Amino acid sequence: MKLRGLWQLAWSEFKLNLRNPAMVFWSIAFPALWMSLFGAIASEPIPGFEYEGLNLANFLLPGGIGLVIVASAFIGTPINLTTYREAGVLKRLRVTPLRTSTLAFGFTLSQFIFMVLGILVLFIIGKIFFNVQVLGSWAALIGMIVFGMITFLALGSAIGSVVGSWRTAAVITQIFFIPMLFLSDLFMPISMFPDWLQPICRALPLTPLNTVLRDIVYGVPLDNLWQLGIMAGWLVLGSVITVKFFRWE
Amino acid sequence: MGSIVECQHVTRSYGSLIAVNDISLTIEEGEIFGLVGPNGAGKTTLIEMIEGLRTPDSGSIKALGLDPTKQGDELKEKIGVLLQATSIQPDIKVREALKLFASFYQHALSNTEELLHTLSLEDKADSRFKKLSGGLKQRVAIALALVNDPEILFLDELTTGLDPQARRNMWDFVEKTRAEGKTIFLTTHYMEEAEKLCDRVGIIDYGKIIALDTPRNLVSNLGTESKVTFNIEDKDIDASKFEGIKAVSRVEKGKDGFILYTKDENITLQELVRMADAQKFRLSNLHTESPNLDDVFLTLTGREMRE
Repeated sequence: MKLRGLWQLAWSEFKLNLRNPAMVFWSIAFPALWMSLFGAIASEPIPGFEYEGLNLANFLLPGGIGLVIVASAFIGTPINLTTYREAGVLKRLRVTPLRTSTLAFGFTLSQFIFMVLGILVLFIIGKIFFNVQVLGSWAALIGMIVFGMITFLALGSAIGSVVGSWRTAAVITQIFFIPMLFLSDLFMPISMFPDWLQPICRALPLTPLNTVLRDIVYGVPLDNLWQLGIMAGWLVLGSVITVKFFRWE
Repeated sequence: MGSIVECQHVTRSYGSLIAVNDISLTIEEGEIFGLVGPNGAGKTTLIEMIEGLRTPDSGSIKALGLDPTKQGDELKEKIGVLLQATSIQPDIKVREALKLFASFYQHALSNTEELLHTLSLEDKADSRFKKLSGGLKQRVAIALALVNDPEILFLDELTTGLDPQARRNMWDFVEKTRAEGKTIFLTTHYMEEAEKLCDRVGIIDYGKIIALDTPRNLVSNLGTESKVTFNIEDKDIDASKFEGIKAVSRVEKGKDGFILYTKDENITLQELVRMADAQKFRLSNLHTESPNLDDVFLTLTGREMRE
């Protein structure tokens, strides 16, 4: 595989995302603020909490990671893709020797770098102000984060491939993004919701990511791994839609 | 010098619309070739097939000896393309864009700064693309097309939407680029531009090339007469007085004054001035109109340019 231009493309797209206020707010500032504001309510270890030494910020951290991933993948990818298609940027890239695979890989890599930045900010703030800890395996944590990134990027590119204009893309991503904030166990337990809504909550792609990440942070046995099947389903769906519907112009 | 692009019986349809209809065409190395025609005539479809962006339904294309469909990757290394009305990443800075595009090629110019200088973009090197005026954007697009030091430069609608000054800058630039030995294939719907810039012009309409020659030959083959127009203010003179002037075939008296139709405007003018001197009448608003590519186009297609 010829990868000429890959790093330059990934780095340049990363920088362009940093110049996009919506991206910086939703996928870097918002998750950090969310964790900090709720975390500040109880920054001391929760008395009687079954996980010794953990506080509210620790409970929120996995959700914060999820928010970084979802916001970056759902705002960045579809809006960049549709904007670039509408303005003819994709077509312009296509008359260069840049390979399609390099292009796809480069865009993906740029989002990866952006998400890593958002997650680092969360960890740094969490460490300094709230003493967040990871009791489980770091390898599992990183593996799970990468799986989440890939899944949501596939879904983001699916939206960007199906939807024609960036305006529509912006509306569609909000339709997915906002309910997931509330329904994916980020801070409101799914058991709070009516019975009919609970299966929907569990089927959302962010729920399993959040559940498994939280198990890793808490260092408890990973007995929810079956939920990864739900994510894998979304990953396959997103990839198939992207491959089937992707258009250059 | 040999041919650098060869199209043979190229056809491409979109549904029931035949965008390019059995076009055969050769472009010689080192020339500026212009494809002119109204919007929707098939210019962009044809140029994009040569660039490898679209595939012909039938016929064959060779550019630099390569098949754009099968050897597109190799071809893209050697051509420079300015697409019609396309943009690059809105928030990218000019210098970043040049470096990014240069990174896509095996043999890119090692010094993109020089390219900024050539196109007088140094002042704008750190500006975001979306903040630039139309003329500057077009200059950036050209810089990007030159980043791999291409053998052929494809310029689709180079000056559409530019103000007259920016348009003239583009013309100067095209001529300079050709002087460096590059072949240029451009499309335009401004006849004036084709006449000024191109060594050869192909006129395309409804997907077919209806004329192809040097601008001068196209005009002279048309056989249309020039018009000499003037007013006479201080005397009442009958139109028939001018009928005897050399090369004049017909005289009209219209609202703008007299119109002499002539096969040779130089001879006619000389004699007209002499006559005015001898008979003491004063010519005013004297001007001549020679046929140009517009007339060629209108005569060949029998309709006004759309847009």
